[in-house]
Amino acid sequence: MNTVKIFYKDDCPMCPMAKRLKDSLLEKQIHVSVYNVGTSDGLAEATFYGVKALPTIIIEDKNEKELFSWRGVVPTTEEVINVVKG
Amino acid sequence: METTDINLFVRTSEETISDWNKEKIVNALIRETLIDEETAHQISIEVEQTIRNAGVKMVTAPLIREIVNAKLIERGLETARKMHTRLGMPIYDVDSLILHPNKENANVPHGPEATNLTLAERIKKEYALLAVFSQDVADAHMNGDIHLHDLGFIDRPYCSGQSLEYIKRFGLNFPHSLSMAKPAKHPEVLLAHLVKFAAALQSNFAGAIGWDAVNIFFAPYLEGMSDNDVKQLAQMLIFEFSQQAVARGGQAIFSDINLYWEVPKHFENTPAIGPGGIYTGRTYGEYEKEAQRFAWKLFEVYKEGDGAGRPFFFPKPIVHITEKFFKTEGWQDFLYHICDVASDKGNTYFVFDRGETAKISECCRLSFKLEERDLKDAKEPWKMRYCALQNVSLNLPRIAYLAKGDDTRLFNLLTERFILAIRAHKEKRAFLEKLLALGENGPLSLLTMKQDDMPYLRFDLATHLIGMVGLNEMVQVHLGEELHESNRAMKFGLKVISHLNLLAHKIRESEKFRVVLEQTPAESTSYRFARLDLRYFSPLSGRIVKGEIASGEIYYTNSTHLNVRAPMNPIERVTNEGKFHPLIEAGSISHIWLGEAHPTKEAIADFVIKTFRYTTNDQIAFSPEFTTCNRCHKTSRGLSDTCSYCGSKDVDGITRITGYFTKISSWNKGKLGELKDRYRNEHYFGQERQIING
Repeated sequence: MNTVKIFYKDDCPMCPMAKRLKDSLLEKQIHVSVYNVGTSDGLAEATFYGVKALPTIIIEDKNEKELFSWRGVVPTTEEVINVVKG
Repeated sequence: METTDINLFVRTSEETISDWNKEKIVNALIRETLIDEETAHQISIEVEQTIRNAGVKMVTAPLIREIVNAKLIERGLETARKMHTRLGMPIYDVDSLILHPNKENANVPHGPEATNLTLAERIKKEYALLAVFSQDVADAHMNGDIHLHDLGFIDRPYCSGQSLEYIKRFGLNFPHSLSMAKPAKHPEVLLAHLVKFAAALQSNFAGAIGWDAVNIFFAPYLEGMSDNDVKQLAQMLIFEFSQQAVARGGQAIFSDINLYWEVPKHFENTPAIGPGGIYTGRTYGEYEKEAQRFAWKLFEVYKEGDGAGRPFFFPKPIVHITEKFFKTEGWQDFLYHICDVASDKGNTYFVFDRGETAKISECCRLSFKLEERDLKDAKEPWKMRYCALQNVSLNLPRIAYLAKGDDTRLFNLLTERFILAIRAHKEKRAFLEKLLALGENGPLSLLTMKQDDMPYLRFDLATHLIGMVGLNEMVQVHLGEELHESNRAMKFGLKVISHLNLLAHKIRESEKFRVVLEQTPAESTSYRFARLDLRYFSPLSGRIVKGEIASGEIYYTNSTHLNVRAPMNPIERVTNEGKFHPLIEAGSISHIWLGEAHPTKEAIADFVIKTFRYTTNDQIAFSPEFTTCNRCHKTSRGLSDTCSYCGSKDVDGITRITGYFTKISSWNKGKLGELKDRYRNEHYFGQERQIING
């Protein structure tokens, strides 16, 4: 199953939009992991994926291979679902 | 003054022989400790009795002092004993030092000057641990929880980044110097000023002296010079810096020169200073061609090597690769040129300044990202002088041994050690502030001189480095896998460094001084930590330390590097090691060990471009190996026991130890163990590779 990873920070201007995206995806039963880069776990994961802009949304397959990402922008729920469901 | 009838002579530290006088014991105790006169008097009587009972006719002042110390201990007066203690070395150790080379730092040659340096370092190290740092911090260093770097240079800052513009503008005018020199009018004089100033700075800093944008700042002096003359100047610069016995303890000055093909944006519109310290009326952007000519000639000299064809050990040439680099005419030819040197001699360091980032590099890998204030200073570049006050490294594998697989305990211990390191920084900072407060009459007078509107050492901008050793082994102990073995291990390693990065940011806010992570070069620390952990955490540590236990050639993997022995494609190594680099703000490096491989310049250039474009790696260097013959003075590729030209066995191996080249015969056992383990990328670069585009 493809998964969605959302990276955000408490004080980034566009991050509330990313949080709304998360809520919307969860409503549609899409598995989402959320990472706050102000924590060790979040920063580590963000560094692993080379996240430089926030928010970043990455979709990866079960082998943790990146399929698509939006860096510094927030896609629509439909755009994400299209990639997740292939 | 009261004397006794004891028939005894004392050999004093003033090189005299004096009559016994126990009042001197009382006076010393009152002067140096906080004990009362009655106790001091009682101790002097007891000491006299002890010596009388021994029946000797001659004692030394140090012996008397130690007997007094024993009496203080008997009374439980430990604080007084520490205040009264004597620093020094056993005669056996001094004998050994004079006869045998120092292996703690491969950049220290062996000779009387080097012995002086080591002796002074030993005393200052003891002084630092007793009088500068608190007992908790000193004990943590002694038992190997942390490492306080360069304790032998406790009375100086750690390392620094400098600007040639300072010398161009103000000449050489040191406090208390016998003569002053006005700003240089000729390139050769500027070069002489540069080398002299570097030597003076070496006497005031423990470690490296880095020089920013050397080819750019030299450029206004080069107009009208022929190519041959510029080459001659380049040759002089490199030989002046690389030949030993010019400064402290016969050590070559650990020096870096930062070079650019383009004129970086922050210097483009900066008014250029020319001969005599006078503005030329043009900007540095207008001197691009002269700057490029000098950079090109410097690399021609590096390519030729020294008189025996060996690579120059210093100054280390650091070339900044930026977006603008690839947009500047001639970049491809220059890239091939410096890659040719990287392949042939290994000298070139490729530093990647991606996006809008600008950096100044110094030391083994230390670099500073220029911030807004620095970029403002770039209009008056003589202000761009920076330093790190101290480096404190954490023994990461030890934390994992103590955590016993418990995540919470591991991160709590990591925080505890970090806070201890910050205490160490505060203690060193307070000590240096005290020395600097003495101004031009103090020991750091050069750093307090005010030629512009501020002291030479910009204390408010100083950084405080937190290093780390053995992340790979920490993860191995905690998870049972090394960093390169799984994404899980890699992510856990990243979490550890993220934790430290976030702590550094918090401390910066709360303490109001700049704390940053650095990849510790750990030339001797990785060996020291491994030895101590083998002693305290066996048998587990015996399965973790790298190298060969039987020969004592053991080590931990440097900083956040991957296991040097793990066979992997170098681009994979550079990519994965580079994942840590954005978290380590004071600079990082990945080494590509070439062994006997001699890649084409195209292959190296292709690798450099890929690293810049597709990884987050901050800096890479390629390290070939050489054998140089002390009989026929020829140098061949690869490490060998005999000279391939004349067959002599009187040879030296040469390769990079950490961040610099040196002779292998001067390496400590830990580094020798690492050298045997290094995976050489001899096959990867075998194929021809072509650059497609930048």
